[in-house]
Amino acid sequence: MTKEDTEKESFEDLRKSFFYGSRSNLSFKFLADLTDEAAGLFLQDLFKQVVTAIDTQDVSDLKSCLAAGQIQGYEAHLKSGFDYDEGPFTPLPAPLSELKLTLLTSSGHFLEGEDPNPLGVKNMTQKEAEARIFDFLKEEPVLTGIPFDCDPGKLRVRHGGYDVSGAIKDPNVSLPIAAMKALKVSGRFRSLTKKAYSFVGACSQKHLLKNALPKWIDRIKRAGTQAVILVPV
Amino acid sequence: MSVGHIARGFEAEGLPTVVIAVKAFETKLKNMGLPRVLLTPEVMGRPMGDPLDKATHKKYFEAAVILLESAIGNGTIENI
Repeated sequence: MTKEDTEKESFEDLRKSFFYGSRSNLSFKFLADLTDEAAGLFLQDLFKQVVTAIDTQDVSDLKSCLAAGQIQGYEAHLKSGFDYDEGPFTPLPAPLSELKLTLLTSSGHFLEGEDPNPLGVKNMTQKEAEARIFDFLKEEPVLTGIPFDCDPGKLRVRHGGYDVSGAIKDPNVSLPIAAMKALKVSGRFRSLTKKAYSFVGACSQKHLLKNALPKWIDRIKRAGTQAVILVPV
Repeated sequence: MSVGHIARGFEAEGLPTVVIAVKAFETKLKNMGLPRVLLTPEVMGRPMGDPLDKATHKKYFEAAVILLESAIGNGTIENI
């Protein structure tokens, strides 16, 4: 961005630049959905909490400030077209200690060497995934199996819809394999499927519903799954 | 939204589910009529908590499992 461009920029332009624009930042893309006034108040509080975090060496209020901004931003664009008055409910078929569970997340994890090559691109970078987010939204999602006993060092993550920096540092922030394995060892449930599952949640909802989901239900059932932990990002 | 569709599809085919999500998704998930949702006070992209915070990951996971076995009807949404 040149100095001349910056001088012409309005506050609205600045807000929107965080949503896949010149300042793209997926943790702050919600600023595009706030009003100027709401965004101003958010930034005011954010700056205050930054200094407080420095003074106290405690980032909990800073985190709460960001989470509150994200809530406000997502409330501002709720028209999904997928609202339902009611939904299905399946009770557990037996006590939890007798069940086989699996994990499925929309985090975009995959194992090294098993890259699903989205959009037909080999070794797509995170930056390219972000740049092509609107192409992802037209595509049928691909479900990737991840063995629960895999080497965590071989896990990879790529997703154009959210800030993956936390998931790069520790996959368990959105793919809680370690917590699930620990609970299994404690006997809370009988067993785990051989694999957990992940896909890129930014996808065509039409293709997901019509094409992918029926196949995924069959695949999950064939793995002997009796209950599923789901984690959207 | 994608995971909401998956939860509905699994439940309709006899697979019980529980969703662990950040609170920013609350209204969206509520509007999708899901059976069991645990909302965490985390930032987007980190629904289980901060990197390497094993205690929090475990706490949220245990709460989700309790919700999985205790919910008796559709629309059970809990905050942790």
